[in-house]
Amino acid sequence: MTARKTAPAIDSRQPLGRHLRRYWQLYAMLLVPVVYFILFKYVPMFGNILAFRRYRPAMGPYGTDWVGFRYFQKFMSDASFWSAFRNTLTLSLLNLAVNFPIPIVFAIMLNELKAIRFKKLVQTVSYMPRFISTVVVIAIISELLSPSSGLLNRFLQDVFNLPPIYFMNEPQYFRLLYVLTDTWQYTGWTAIIYLAAITGISNDLFEAATIDGATRLQQIRYVTIPSILPTIMVMFILNVGRLLSLGFEKVLLMYTPSNSGVSDIIDTLVYRTGLANQNYSYATAIGLFSGVIGVVLVAGSNFFSRKTTGESIY
Amino acid sequence: MTTTVSRRRPGAGNLLLDALIYLVMIFTLLACLVPFIYMLALSLSDAKSIVNGRVSFWPVGFNLGSYEQIVTYPNFFRAYGNTLFYTVAGTAISLTLTTLFAYPLSKSFLRGQKFFMKLVVFSMFFSGGLIPNYLLISNLGLTGRVWAMLIPFAINQFNLIILVNFFRSLPGEIEEAALIDGLNYIGILTRIVLPLSTAGLATVALYTAVFFWNDWFNGLIYLNTSQFPVMLFLRNIVNGTSMVGDAAGFGDKSTIAISIKSAVIITSTLPIIILYPFLQKYFVKGLTVGSVKG
Repeated sequence: MTARKTAPAIDSRQPLGRHLRRYWQLYAMLLVPVVYFILFKYVPMFGNILAFRRYRPAMGPYGTDWVGFRYFQKFMSDASFWSAFRNTLTLSLLNLAVNFPIPIVFAIMLNELKAIRFKKLVQTVSYMPRFISTVVVIAIISELLSPSSGLLNRFLQDVFNLPPIYFMNEPQYFRLLYVLTDTWQYTGWTAIIYLAAITGISNDLFEAATIDGATRLQQIRYVTIPSILPTIMVMFILNVGRLLSLGFEKVLLMYTPSNSGVSDIIDTLVYRTGLANQNYSYATAIGLFSGVIGVVLVAGSNFFSRKTTGESIY
Repeated sequence: MTTTVSRRRPGAGNLLLDALIYLVMIFTLLACLVPFIYMLALSLSDAKSIVNGRVSFWPVGFNLGSYEQIVTYPNFFRAYGNTLFYTVAGTAISLTLTTLFAYPLSKSFLRGQKFFMKLVVFSMFFSGGLIPNYLLISNLGLTGRVWAMLIPFAINQFNLIILVNFFRSLPGEIEEAALIDGLNYIGILTRIVLPLSTAGLATVALYTAVFFWNDWFNGLIYLNTSQFPVMLFLRNIVNGTSMVGDAAGFGDKSTIAISIKSAVIITSTLPIIILYPFLQKYFVKGLTVGSVKG
């Protein structure tokens, strides 16, 4: 939107032909990646028109004839869609409520550590789960929570004399397990962003606060948190924008017939109706609906944040 | 580096705060490490001890039987080899394409640079979705070919922006001097910019390699059994899609499954766990360099 002030004056007055002759090598470099990018990112985006068209096998990926909003009407009156929609929102909001504040608190605590080497050790170890495959994470917890030999069930049995619980199969534990595995995987990693913001705070502020007699908790409350508020807002916008896109792969890995009542989210519904049952148009319509809501959520929270705090991501 | 002020009165409040913080930090360390220790202990224990629930954080009845057994599975070996190939080839393709895209994008004087940048950022918030992507890949005839694992993910927007920001942070004077000396932009990229960018390239290469190493879903929807990566092999063991080998001479089947499962978990995660401490500074770098604003 503010393109005109960034381009150097000489280049903007230079005729296009001369500009291209001078920089043709840079444009040549762009050629393959741009074609690639359009083919693999933008063609599928336009492939969403399938949501408005009837798909026929072997007649191309864009369907054969227009049907308007028929597939949208169809899923809107489908109970399994609304169940998936509710499950998605519930799981997302729960995840946001737990896993949005935890990395902030963790970063503030890390910053309060005075033993530098211990701090470094905790940081290094806490990022690591971020790089572990979701498959491995789910495999590990299903062994930890196994009803026959898992560590947790043995502990519950030995200490509280409880009968074994099949955690991975019981619907009431699904959300808890989803949220806690996210906490385990991403707390340390997300905290890096906040820690970088805290490191950027001028020392003068803390010194002034100390001279004024502020305790450490007061320094956190009146210096640290207000200083990193812009970062918190930006992270919040990004998170709200992702409300409908949960960790689909993790849900798919945790999905069992017995927990499907809570674990069937929009993405798994799209996967099931689209790839398993090959209702391509119907599944595309559901996917497009949730994608559009995602864009509206990002734009909306960005707008709200710009109006209230002046922070925005674009 | 630390922002805390050194002159502080020791008080009961501070002591309590410090105690709480250390408690949380020690809990964090344990929470991150214990699952792996448990897996390691299970994979090295004998079947009877596992069944009797005697294995916690230390192997009981130490033996390497489960490792000896998984290396005899042709499927495991093939899957492991496949993953190695996807990781190396995928990272090479990705790094090439991402660099070729990022370098011109880092030149803000280029006409259309803003437009391409917007194209990239928009695609981070709105994408084709599962079905249109699937139909594109199958219409390109890539299903059942290893290319389906490698090509669709060659350019990741976050990695691209990391590299763009990295190239922008390089001092422009060197490039100007090289231009005056008669080097063209291709020469500048390969002989000046890339050697100066090893840290940025390493970061992006690591993210990409980890992505390919951990990927399983694309293998599931696009590939045939013989092409499966090791993570899909593991997933199929865990959810019982494929059986965990024969139990010949090893007693109870389900217990063998546990130690073998653990052995697969350990071996398929080992490269990341081993390389991680040495490379972790590169892992972290990208997150602070690659802000979305570009």
